[in-house]
Amino acid sequence: MRFLLVEDELDIQQFLKRSLTESGYQVDAAGDARTAMKLAADVVYDTLIVDLGLPDQDGIDLILSLRQVGVKAPVLILSARRSVDERVKGLEQGGDDYLTKPFAFAELLARLRNLLKRDSPPEHISTRLRVLDLEMDLIQRQVTRAGQELHLTTQEFALLEFLCRNAGKVVTRSMILERVWGMRINPKTNLVDVHMSRLRGKVDGRGRKPLIGSQRGMGYVLRNV
Amino acid sequence: MSSETSRPIAWSAAWRISLWGTLAFAIGTLIVFIFLHRFVSNDIQQRNDAWLWGEVSLLGDVAERTPKDALYSQVIAEMAELVRKEVPNKRRSLSTGNDHVFFLEKGENGSLKLWVGEGTGESTLNAILHSRILPDQPIDLFVDGISTPFRVVSLRVEDGSRIYLGLSEEDQLRVLNRFRVYFVLLWLVIVLFGFALMFSISRGLLKNVQSITDAASRIGRSDLTTRVPTARRADEVAHLAVTLNSMLDRIENAMHQLHTMTDSLAHDIRSPITAVRGKLEASLSAPSAEEQADSIVSSIEVLDRLSQFLTDSLDVAEANADALRLSRSEVDLAEAVGAMIDLYLPTFSERDLTLRFHCDGPVSINADPGLIHRAISNLFDNEVTHLPNGHTVTVALRVTDVVMLTVEDDGPGFAPEIIQHLFERRAKGRDSSGRGLGLAFVDAVARAHGGVVSASNRATGGALITVCLPLAVNVSVFAERTGGAIQE
Repeated sequence: MRFLLVEDELDIQQFLKRSLTESGYQVDAAGDARTAMKLAADVVYDTLIVDLGLPDQDGIDLILSLRQVGVKAPVLILSARRSVDERVKGLEQGGDDYLTKPFAFAELLARLRNLLKRDSPPEHISTRLRVLDLEMDLIQRQVTRAGQELHLTTQEFALLEFLCRNAGKVVTRSMILERVWGMRINPKTNLVDVHMSRLRGKVDGRGRKPLIGSQRGMGYVLRNV
Repeated sequence: MSSETSRPIAWSAAWRISLWGTLAFAIGTLIVFIFLHRFVSNDIQQRNDAWLWGEVSLLGDVAERTPKDALYSQVIAEMAELVRKEVPNKRRSLSTGNDHVFFLEKGENGSLKLWVGEGTGESTLNAILHSRILPDQPIDLFVDGISTPFRVVSLRVEDGSRIYLGLSEEDQLRVLNRFRVYFVLLWLVIVLFGFALMFSISRGLLKNVQSITDAASRIGRSDLTTRVPTARRADEVAHLAVTLNSMLDRIENAMHQLHTMTDSLAHDIRSPITAVRGKLEASLSAPSAEEQADSIVSSIEVLDRLSQFLTDSLDVAEANADALRLSRSEVDLAEAVGAMIDLYLPTFSERDLTLRFHCDGPVSINADPGLIHRAISNLFDNEVTHLPNGHTVTVALRVTDVVMLTVEDDGPGFAPEIIQHLFERRAKGRDSSGRGLGLAFVDAVARAHGGVVSASNRATGGALITVCLPLAVNVSVFAERTGGAIQE
């Protein structure tokens, strides 16, 4: 997997490049739109990560001109702007995604994986999820832990399903709110934590080995090892 | 007024306005007078001419009918003497003698046949001989030694001689002269009076303007709380003052916002940055990797809160500047509130709060779902953070001609000192740990959608927030379904 990272802020560029490389991806970095165009002409990338505030060109214009020269890879747009431009919304509908700065690296990674998934042929839709001794039957809507059935509410079920699908990866609170509840909000209260502690009580209770771990400052992770 | 005393009065606008106004008035009245003068003098002349013609034809008649004997001269002279006595202008001076009218008969050879009048008539005859006299046309005759001209008509009589009747124009000129003198005096009085009146009126008006100017300059220098004095009358100047005052209100408001913004920005941004810096410094010197990680993690948490604060502040600022970008779609508000309640319910019950929801079915509005979600979330956050344990929050969604979302509780209500400022940025209770952006954002979102938010304390105690939003076109309200109440 090879990414093109277009970001003019050197600190961010370096930190993203290093983190992505550590996660096992190949990353080429460009500091401006001109370099990005040159790189994109030589190499076929799997995903582009484009910051909107570039010194020589607006990020959206860069994406549009890349599209014109035949670059089809999905784009993850990074933006410091709070309210999303109509044009970004248009791109989002076209299959690209956006992320507002500042962001947690885990979230960037999750979004990148999503973009890549969209590109690859759909895996066969599983009706069952299994993480260690936790099993979810998505049709019967049943959950068992070590063979014992857990009684979850609809919301807890959706939350656990999301964790299972991302087993082993850190998910942030805003990712949970967006994917499970479909809301891009910034609550000032610990909503997600309350939900998570209830779920945890049911999944990890009664002296079982804890599956749901929290990463302070990041979010939650469902352990798969 | 300070600026008035320091400047000569001739520089003031009042002076110039009255000067030009008076000048225009003076010229105008002068032109009117000139026309009037011509009309009057023509009229007098026409009357005199008519009298002369009448008299001269009478004399001519008598002269023709009187036999040319020794008595002729005497008859004509007496006749002429009679004529002289009925001079038309009765106001003439009672000067000695009668030099106002003369009668002269000139023979065919140009000799003086008969003369009735002052003196010998030689000079008059000379003047007649030297001037071009048109037949049947009155002329002005200037006679040597007499300052005023005579109006003279002539008639030819049968024996070839010509009779002349002359009327001094002295009276006419005197009347006109008096007329002019009276006019000029009156004109001067009126013009001076007009100037004084105009000057005092415009000075009064401009004095108001000057006081506005003074007040405005004071405001610019020192404080924004001063207001321009408003006049009692509702004229243009008073209107200017009122407009200026409302502009000052807006400026003061904006300045106030700017001050509180910068003050609180300094606090809200510097403090977390200081905290992060401190924590990271501590992590550098931390003895164990665990403590190091702890500092870093809590730095990240502080930074997350900071970035959320920035997002909220900027959103509210953008919304207050009416620059919120809405991407509208049809939203079922009942569903949105329901989903939000699902999300918040565990948090409410954890704090021992009861949350009820009354709704009569789907309520479709045309709105930006993201902003609506955040606004509702702010309302709920507000309750979770401020309501003491054990109370009940009731959320209701009603549809009348607008969509009305009410959030009420049975808690202590809003503190009286903040209820006026609830929707301002930074408004928060004394013991609130929030940053006072929540309700300001709700207000901004409602306004961006063409709605309003109001907040009050209920009569029975507790806070009540009402959000009114305009209805989308086709709204389906199902039959009573108040069974949708959720209770924990």
